[in-house]
Amino acid sequence: MITLKKLTKVYGNGPGALTVLDNLDIEVAPGEILAVTGPSGAGKSTLAQCIGLLERPTSGQVIVNGEDLASLPERRLRVARRRIGTIFQSASLLSRSTAAQNVALPLQYLGVTPAETKARVAELLERVGLAHRADHYPFELSGGQRQRVGIARALALRPSVLLSDEATSGLDPETTLSMVALLRQLRDDLDLAVVFVTHEMDTVLHVADTAARLEDGRIVEQGRLVDLVTDHDSVLGRALQPRPAAAAPAPGSTPWALSYDSRAVPADWLQRVSAELGEPLALLAASIQSIDGTSTGTATVGLRAPAHQAAAAFARQGLHAVPVRTAGPDPVSTAVPRATEELQWA
Amino acid sequence: MGLNISAAVQIRALADTPLPELPALLVPALGETLAMVGIVMLIVVSLGTPIAVALHNMAPGGLFEHRGTYSVLSWIVNIGRSLPFLVLMAAIVPFTRFVTGTNIGIAAAVVPMSLAGIPFFARLVENCLRDVPRSVTAAARASGGSPLQIIRTAQLGEAVPAILGGLTINTIAMIEYSAIAGTIGAGGIGYVAVTYGYQRFDQTVMLATVLLLIAMVTIVQLGGDALVKATTPHLRRRA
Ligand SMILES: Nc1ncnc2c1ncn2[C@@H]1O[C@H](COP(=O)(O)OP(=O)(O)OP(=O)(O)O)[C@@H](O)[C@H]1O
Ligand SMILES: [Mg+2]
Repeated sequence: MITLKKLTKVYGNGPGALTVLDNLDIEVAPGEILAVTGPSGAGKSTLAQCIGLLERPTSGQVIVNGEDLASLPERRLRVARRRIGTIFQSASLLSRSTAAQNVALPLQYLGVTPAETKARVAELLERVGLAHRADHYPFELSGGQRQRVGIARALALRPSVLLSDEATSGLDPETTLSMVALLRQLRDDLDLAVVFVTHEMDTVLHVADTAARLEDGRIVEQGRLVDLVTDHDSVLGRALQPRPAAAAPAPGSTPWALSYDSRAVPADWLQRVSAELGEPLALLAASIQSIDGTSTGTATVGLRAPAHQAAAAFARQGLHAVPVRTAGPDPVSTAVPRATEELQWA
Repeated sequence: MGLNISAAVQIRALADTPLPELPALLVPALGETLAMVGIVMLIVVSLGTPIAVALHNMAPGGLFEHRGTYSVLSWIVNIGRSLPFLVLMAAIVPFTRFVTGTNIGIAAAVVPMSLAGIPFFARLVENCLRDVPRSVTAAARASGGSPLQIIRTAQLGEAVPAILGGLTINTIAMIEYSAIAGTIGAGGIGYVAVTYGYQRFDQTVMLATVLLLIAMVTIVQLGGDALVKATTPHLRRRA
C-alpha cells in the first residue's frame, strides 16, 4: 500500500522556482496497478523519482505501509528505499555484470550471505523466465530480457511497492505485452502495489486497474480504468480509446460516432439498434475490447434514420452517440476526426 | 660546412659507446625509469582516483552535489594541468627539496611527476565516470546502496575499461615526463639520452634509448589494450 499526501516538488527557489508536482494525492492499494500518464513535461518522471525517494519531495508525504518515508534522514532513507522496487527505462543494468550478478546487487548491498543470495537470485530469474540466461551479460540479452532482469532486481528485496518509469517505452509491441503480462502476474502473486508511469496509452489499457492523468504537475483525472473508458466525458477515457479512421458512409446516410457509455452495453447492440430503427447499420469503424470483463470501445456507424430517433435507440443500448458533421464534399474529410487536441499525447 | 660535418662525424665516432657496453649503461637506467614511473603511477592512481570520484559526485547531479567545493577542487586540478611539465618541475624545486631533501635523483623526480600526473589522471577518470549512464547510479541508489557501494559498483566498476584506457595514456605520459626529469639529473633513460646522446653526440646510445623508449611505450600500450579487452564483456566474448 502506498499513499501520497499533498506531494509537492519544487525545483529551484526564488522567482525562478518551478513547481513540478503540485499537491498530489494518490493511493495505490496492494494488488493494484495504477498507470500514470500525461503529456511530456507533466512531471511523471519527477513523480516516479519522488515515490522511489531518489528525489526528496519539497513537501508532503510518501507513506508506504503506514510509515512516512519522505521525512526520513538520508541514512534511513537508504534503508527505506528497499521497500520500493524500481524498474528503469532501458533497465540500467551493470554492463560488466551478468544477469545473475545484476539481480544479486541489492542483496549484495544489503550484506546477504552468498549462499542465500544465490538461492534468491535463482528464484527471481526463474520467476521472470530467465533462469537459462543467468550467466549472460546485458549485451547478450534482448531489450525485453534486459527489462526482465531489471524487474527481477527490483523484486530482490521483496518490496511491497513496484515502481516503473517508462519501462516498456522503446520495446516492440509484442515484448511490451509480455512485460505487461509478467507485471500483472507478479502483482497477483506478490500482492504488489504498482505505479506504472508511461506515455503509451495502449499499454495503459493492457496493464492498469486504475489510471491517473497528470498535467502541469496536477492530477486532472483519476479513476478505475473501466469507469474512465465507459465515461464519454472523460478526456483520459477517450485518449485511451483512439478512434480508428472510418470509411465514408453511403450517400444519403449520416455517420455517427459511438462510444460505450455503460458497463451493460449488449454484445449484439448493432442488431438491436438496426431492428429498432428498421434499417441496416453500416459499420464504418470499430474498436472494442474487454476491460475487467466489461466490454468497452468506440465505433462509427452510418445510417439514414432521423437524428432524434437514432440517438434514443443508441442511448437505450448504453451507447453515447453523436452525429459526425460532414464538413465538405471531400469524402476523406468526412471521416471521423482522429486526432483531437487531447488525443495528441496519446 | 663540410669540414664541420666531418669533424662532428669524427667526434661521434670517437665518443660512440661500443655495443657490448650498452647493456651496462642502459639496464640500470631502465630500472630507474621503471622505478620512477612505477612509484609515480602508484601515487597518481591512489590520489587521482578519489579526486575524480569527488569531482564527479560533487558536480551537479552527483551523489553529494556541492557547487562550491566542486569549483574549488576543479580550479586546483586545472592549475595542475595548465603548467608545462618542464616549467612545473623548475617552479616547485623548493617544494621538492622540502619534501625529499634533495632536488636531484629519483626521489626528486617523483614529486613533480606526481603533481603533474594526479590532476591529469583525475580528469581522465572524471571523464570516464561521466560516460557511465546516470540511470545506472540511480538504479544502484534504488537498490539501497550506500554512497561507497554505489561508487565502487555502479561508477568505478562500470568505468573500469575506460579507466584502464586512461591509465595507459597516463603511464605513457609519465614515461615521457621521466625522460624530461632526466635532464635535471633524475637518472633513468632520459638522463642517459641527454648526457650521452645529446651532450656527447653518442649516436649509438641515442638510438638505443630511442628504441628502448619506443619499446616501453609499445608494451604499455599493448598491455593496456589487453586489459581493456579483458575487462569489457562484449570484447572478451567476441575474441
Ligand atoms: N532536476 C531538475 N531540475 C529542474 N527542473 C527539472 C528537473 N527535473 C525535471 N525538471 C522539470 O520538471 C518538469 C517535469 O519533468 P519530468 O521529467 O518529470 O516530465 P515527464 O512527465 O516525465 O516528461 P516525459 O514524458 O518527457 O518524460 C519539466 O518541466 C522539467 O524541465
Ligand atoms: Mg519522463
